[in-house]
Amino acid sequence: MNIVARELRSNLKSLLIWSGSLIAVIVMMLSEFSAYYNNPDMAQIMNSMPKALMDAFSMSNANLTTVSGYVSITVVYVNLMLGIFAVLLGNSIIAKEERDKTAGFLMTMPVTRTKILIGKIIAAAINCLIVLVVVIGSLYLFTLKYNPDQDFYRFLWLVAVTTGIFEIMFLSLGLFLASSVKRYKLSSGVGLGILFSLYVLSVLVALSDKIDFLKYVTPFKYYEASKLLQNNGIEGTYLILSFIWAISFTALTFIVYNKRDLRA
Amino acid sequence: MNIIEINQLTKFYGKVKGIENVSFNVKEGEIFGFIGPNGAGKSTTIRTLLGLIFPTSGSAKLFGKDCIEFGSKIRSEIGYLPSEVFYYEKMKVKDLLKYSASFYKKDCTKRINELSEIMELNLNRRIEDLSYGNKKKVGIVQGLLHEPKLIMLDEPTSGLDPLMQQKFFDIISEENKKGSTVFFSSHILSEVQHLCNRVAIIKDGHVIKVEDIKTLREDNYKKVTVKGESLDSNLYSFEGVSQLTSFDHMLNFFYKGDVNFLIETIGKQKVQDILIEDPSLEEIFMHYYK
Repeated sequence: MNIVARELRSNLKSLLIWSGSLIAVIVMMLSEFSAYYNNPDMAQIMNSMPKALMDAFSMSNANLTTVSGYVSITVVYVNLMLGIFAVLLGNSIIAKEERDKTAGFLMTMPVTRTKILIGKIIAAAINCLIVLVVVIGSLYLFTLKYNPDQDFYRFLWLVAVTTGIFEIMFLSLGLFLASSVKRYKLSSGVGLGILFSLYVLSVLVALSDKIDFLKYVTPFKYYEASKLLQNNGIEGTYLILSFIWAISFTALTFIVYNKRDLRA
Repeated sequence: MNIIEINQLTKFYGKVKGIENVSFNVKEGEIFGFIGPNGAGKSTTIRTLLGLIFPTSGSAKLFGKDCIEFGSKIRSEIGYLPSEVFYYEKMKVKDLLKYSASFYKKDCTKRINELSEIMELNLNRRIEDLSYGNKKKVGIVQGLLHEPKLIMLDEPTSGLDPLMQQKFFDIISEENKKGSTVFFSSHILSEVQHLCNRVAIIKDGHVIKVEDIKTLREDNYKKVTVKGESLDSNLYSFEGVSQLTSFDHMLNFFYKGDVNFLIETIGKQKVQDILIEDPSLEEIFMHYYK
């Protein structure tokens, strides 16, 4: 527990900065909505846009003049940001001990690396949860003035759950990279590289039918907001894939980190 | 009883050799010196014992238990002071020490206060504001606050002024008298000579000698330099002189034997300058290499 407390404290500043920035981004995104809200002209304009463009930004099914429709297109960007947050957090919470050469202190304490990892993962998960609450809370608060219906809140709840799963997936990726990439300076870059590649892949999958099977590869395709909005549910296949991804990376983290030679 | 038992310990970093087939034992209550030049493998050995890195082959036991398998348990009895200390920069000294103490199953408050007082450490400062020497003091307090049975020091005195070094050695001697075993790496022979009972000498990843400090002292060669206009190097071809070289009105040699006889010999000629010193560690190694 001392490790959890220590990690929460040391990540507090970064958590506040991230939370503040995310609130600001959401406020900006939703402020655009007032131009779309109940505005048939806008719907006309959107309909005249090329289909491919709308597909690429996963906007083809969204009715931007309703709260649900508008929020649904912001979800992919929220996911992208929280993915960045999670993968960087997962990476830094482990790699920083070597980066700051404090591994020589922490790892010579009478505690196993497994326990250190558990403490760090708990702290990271709490950070992810807080950021999620901040994001969903902002979406809730700043749409109140449009009096959204029950369906919107049901949708928002699904977004919260799926974004949480999405965060855990990228957190586990970050943990794994920090423990397995030999040069700790590289691991955060590798993590961000993978994240953006998967995002680009999801855009490509939307554009081309031929690579449809790749939708199972990129988590950006797992819980698309348009699907959540229409089906009102999460698909079991993707849920299973998500758990396999998160559990595998977390398990590998424990295996690899317990054998890692620590610098410093 | 052996507190440290190292058996054929080998560590390669990829293809680069760290240490190879290192074996020696440290007995309970000993102050054991581990000397060698930079890059000889001192830190590699210590870091393996602490479980920071994993051996390529061979094994080591601390308190009779394997240092990897029982690492976390063993470490509750070890105090470690690295050559350069790094802590969480934003933390206050007080909080860092409390954090460190929280890993041990005992109350360390009293010992923290005692040690901080001796080392004249300001507990309210942030780690990032501390000088190198002050960080080292934090390291000393942190390494000893749980009254460890085995104290492992990796080049401990670098960065400490002579006064603090003395205090530090006093603390270490005191801990040793209370029963702690001390394992101590250094490249400064004189430091080791004062304190240790036995030493292991390591070079290029191999332990080349494990010896009683008394024997090492007896074998102690002196390095002699004599300057003069007309020196006859033939005068110095007596027992105990080795590696005699002469150039530019200067004679250099190593001497082991009766100092009076040496001075008598030097006195036979007109000498401008004379220097008799302890050989450097490198020169002692050269001796062990022969």
